[in-house]
Amino acid sequence: MIGAAFGVTLASAQAGDEAAFACIFRDVQPALLRYLRVIAPDPEDVAGDTWLQVVDGLVRFRGGEQAFRAWLFTIARHRAVDAGRSRARRPAVPLELSAAAQRLTSPDAADQALETVSTQAVMALIASLPHDQAEIIMLRVVAGLDASDVARIVGKTPGAVRVAAHRGLRQLAGQAERTGVTH
Amino acid sequence: MHDEMPGFFPGRPGGERDEPLLDMILERRPIPPWAPPEIYGLARMLAAVAGPAEPGELAGQNAALVAFTRLASPAGTSPAAPRSVRRLLPERSARGRLPLAAAVTAVAAGLGSTAAAYVGVLPSPIQHFVHVTIGAPAPPHDYSRHVPAVASSPTQARHEPATSGPPKTPTATSPVPARGKASHRWRYGLPANSPGPAIASCLPTPSPARNPVWPTLAPASAPASLSPTQSPGRLSPTQSPTSPGPRASGWAAPSPAATACPRVPTQTAVPRPGQ
Repeated sequence: MIGAAFGVTLASAQAGDEAAFACIFRDVQPALLRYLRVIAPDPEDVAGDTWLQVVDGLVRFRGGEQAFRAWLFTIARHRAVDAGRSRARRPAVPLELSAAAQRLTSPDAADQALETVSTQAVMALIASLPHDQAEIIMLRVVAGLDASDVARIVGKTPGAVRVAAHRGLRQLAGQAERTGVTH
Repeated sequence: MHDEMPGFFPGRPGGERDEPLLDMILERRPIPPWAPPEIYGLARMLAAVAGPAEPGELAGQNAALVAFTRLASPAGTSPAAPRSVRRLLPERSARGRLPLAAAVTAVAAGLGSTAAAYVGVLPSPIQHFVHVTIGAPAPPHDYSRHVPAVASSPTQARHEPATSGPPKTPTATSPVPARGKASHRWRYGLPANSPGPAIASCLPTPSPARNPVWPTLAPASAPASLSPTQSPGRLSPTQSPTSPGPRASGWAAPSPAATACPRVPTQTAVPRPGQ
């Protein structure tokens, strides 16, 4: 999170300052990519589409850092849904699953995480959770959004988001205890 | 799933008390020291996921910066935007070059043929054909023979008030024909319904200041300007091909009277409508 300097940074980026935009990009991109690795089959492509749309609407954006992140992750989710639909419309084409997608679909994701205690291992654990719980945890913890913003993004009430997050965390803790994954 | 709710870990009683701790993890707040070790472990796991960028995660920065430079920069301040435009231009021009060349050639050929027809430089058979079809001047050898036909044509009939009677005869008997083919256009002028305006649009339109005769040559004033008492000799100089004034006004003129040369000394003798 950029923090107090976000307003100035955003204003500079909106004025065309590449360094300011790069600062925002470096701050958000890791969280965006990790979030997309959990919910999207082609996270890098979806992230690129997301940034294109962000750049396109950057000048018109008004708000603080939380609102900016909520806006960006909303775009990312929409693009991820579009990407999923696009893939669903091409079922006859054999797909080359990326490593992230394989993590999403592999039944032994938790077993793979045992091999290396790392960020990737934890993400694999999160990815093994039910989809809504994994997404909410990523939005809450990785993207840093509050419950109301997450509720708007995923289309649930803040209470439902909280319940789903708690359930996901409990499952994650239990899974980590069983697999021995800690950090 | 429901059996997980009573405790943080399945089978652990009193787990409801951990919900505030879970909220602390979700909000990335510091975990209190009295929290169970499992909470600490979970917090460390999620902190690792929310950690700084790992190698490769910022690989798309250059592409994002390029997109930012192209799309988000204010117009005119980005050097990349003109580059992208330049990259597009050759492709566009290559795509549109052939149809554009064909269109230009067709227009040029049409305009050239029409101009040649009205100038009278076409071969006699062709000139006669265009004379019949579009009202261009007749071939030189048919000059005297076609004068009545021109006078009786709808075009000429439209300008009958302006050229009735003597104006036609003076045109035919004026000394201008002796000057050659180029004089025909000035003799006959352009019919009002001729395709000449297509050419005239490419020519400089005479302003009233340059050609003071122009306003007085409106059809309403033409009868007065071409009264039967006017001698042919006074009209023929106004149709001189050597004058640049009527050349311009001739292409754009709505009536044969518009071919009048501005340097004609009889301009002052042409009565204006109000006179």
